[in-house]
Amino acid sequence: MARLTYVEAIVAAIAAEMRRDPRVFLLGQDIGPLGGVMRGARGLWEEFGDARVLDTPISESAMVGAAVGAALMGKRPIVEISFGEFLPLAMSQLVLQAANIHYMTAGAASVPMVVRTRIGDGPYRGHPQCYEAWLAHVPGLKAVLPATPYDARGLMTAAIRDPNPVIVFEHMQLYHLLRDEVPDEDYEVPIGQAVVAREGRDATVVATGWMVHRALAAADALTAEGMSVEVVDLRSLAPLDIPTVVASVRKTSRLVIAHESWKVGGIGAEVSASIAEEAVDALDAPIVRVGAPHAPVPSARSLRDLFLPDEESIRKAVRKVAEF
Amino acid sequence: MGAVNSPEVTRTRPALTPADLLELYRLMALCRTLESACAELNPRWFPAEGEEATIVGSCYGLRPDDVVAPHYRGPFIIYLMRGADLARLFGQALGKSIGYARGRAVPFTGPVKVGVTPWVAGDLGTSLSVALGVALSFWYDRQMRRSPHSPPLDGTHPADERAVVCTFGDGTANRGDFHEALNMAALWKLPIVYVCQNNRYAISLESRKYLPVATVADRAAGYGIPGATVDGNDILAVHDAVQAAVARARRGEGPSLIDAQTYRLRGHWAEDAADYRPEAEAASWRERDPLPRFERRLVEIGAAAADNLVRLREQVAAEVDAALDRARQAPDAGPADLGLDEVLAWRG
Ligand SMILES: Cc1ncc(C[n+]2csc(CCOP(=O)(O)OP(=O)(O)O)c2C)c(N)n1
Ligand SMILES: [Mg+2]
Repeated sequence: MARLTYVEAIVAAIAAEMRRDPRVFLLGQDIGPLGGVMRGARGLWEEFGDARVLDTPISESAMVGAAVGAALMGKRPIVEISFGEFLPLAMSQLVLQAANIHYMTAGAASVPMVVRTRIGDGPYRGHPQCYEAWLAHVPGLKAVLPATPYDARGLMTAAIRDPNPVIVFEHMQLYHLLRDEVPDEDYEVPIGQAVVAREGRDATVVATGWMVHRALAAADALTAEGMSVEVVDLRSLAPLDIPTVVASVRKTSRLVIAHESWKVGGIGAEVSASIAEEAVDALDAPIVRVGAPHAPVPSARSLRDLFLPDEESIRKAVRKVAEF
Repeated sequence: MGAVNSPEVTRTRPALTPADLLELYRLMALCRTLESACAELNPRWFPAEGEEATIVGSCYGLRPDDVVAPHYRGPFIIYLMRGADLARLFGQALGKSIGYARGRAVPFTGPVKVGVTPWVAGDLGTSLSVALGVALSFWYDRQMRRSPHSPPLDGTHPADERAVVCTFGDGTANRGDFHEALNMAALWKLPIVYVCQNNRYAISLESRKYLPVATVADRAAGYGIPGATVDGNDILAVHDAVQAAVARARRGEGPSLIDAQTYRLRGHWAEDAADYRPEAEAASWRERDPLPRFERRLVEIGAAAADNLVRLREQVAAEVDAALDRARQAPDAGPADLGLDEVLAWRG
């Protein structure tokens, strides 16, 4: 066991897989001697060298396309798009190539590649827009968004070993925020499995990424008001683990969904619709979603704080479902 | 560097035997016949008649362990050259169950196993980057073999000699992936040859509306790689230029860009009357039709007698008819082909 930050856990997962599997290599910008944006590739170039840690030009579409081509040849490329805001530059490669190839070739080819990218509000505030729901919408892609160092390592390991294209959304707010006990030996967190991060009886808060931490803080605060709140961390956005949410809702009968990205068309809309379809009979109150207002994420700290869902907005939502 | 007709691209002349010449002719004739058959089967087929010399010439003489990333217009002959089954290709064009994609992908795709990158959607330009990744994979194998600490990934082939040929249209040359991929291929000296199947049109637009240069090969200079412009209706010229560039790629000297200048004898799709083109222009290109032209040459140099070529054409027609029959009789793709549980690969 070592106490690692979120980003250290991600780098540890990549390094371990690169040691284990010579097919794994990295493509990205500033991942060589610099050690990656926000230390996101620290030590990899020193250990694995120029051939396996490739600094690329600013060419997001060709980077992802090249990963598709290499994956078709049996390699296990990890391509780093510095920030999730730039995923749209590679969208055709992601949604028409990577996502389609296995199905469209009737199973003759597959694309075992990882796209790692940074999203969300972070210590430097840059590049905060969160597009993860766009990608979760597309069949043939898997998408994960770890909230803890333990899950970050386990999900990255699972992503690299997965025979499909997997997008790993790394939350910038969590990068250096906290340390967790992370096992030294390899392990996987299965893609497509949510986890109950905190047990409770009176309401369920389903959350992703940074909002998992805000939901946990809100749940702690609400004990003072006599409420027992369960928090479910989705961890994977595609496939989405609806059974875990259904089980929690059957226990608590009340559901709040909280994410940092826009409420409109966010992953919460899909969770909400699935619960309406599968467990509406278990609900004692309408579902409440907490997400960003429908506007581009503003830059100034003061505006950002007004804009993003916070602990208080989650507490309010829980009170609302509880008091219905 | 990068000048048009740079000697680095054009110097090597691979020796073609008389048998090769006849095979080139047979392949061009087969390409012509199957393209018009597909156009008849599927009104939305994108026929390649007129472009056979460029297509066949670019891909002839490659090794089985090389990879081709073909342009969407005319890929079936390339699949055939690499071992695909013609009836299954026709089945593909018709959306039949025997089609390689079982009705799931665009009509102009084929088997992956034969070393051709798959067409799955119709997003032009992405294939230039996917091809780049294949070349990167070959390059990577070589790096790993050279590293004393790393085990070889693929002991069966001398990996550093594998090459990629990527063909694409003159309209496609304006997608961002063209720039991104050529730049990266040049930076890393990847073993890839980019061949523009330049038929002077992108649907209705004439190339002067989207290409500010006389030849796409002019752009090679911007990447510091050799570029060459060839008569795309002269199969030997195309083959020479591509093979020289492939040899260069195999030596680890990096990519090349070739503009093969040809003409689409028909419309963009089978039913397109192409009345946006001046008739005089089309007529002048019909005179330069690569098939009769190569025929005359073969007879002239004594590589084949005229009746020999007639016999070859008859064989090709019979082969196409038989395959068409099989494809027509095959069932349409049905529930068993839908494969909704095959969207994601399972971990083996
Ligand atoms: C990215 C993209 N944009 C537009 C189209 C629509 N489209 C299909 S074929 C074509 C013309 C392509 O021209 P070119 O690359 O010269 O190939 P050609 O048809 O001449 O063989 C266009 C614009 C497309 N398929 N993909
Ligand atoms: Mg064209």
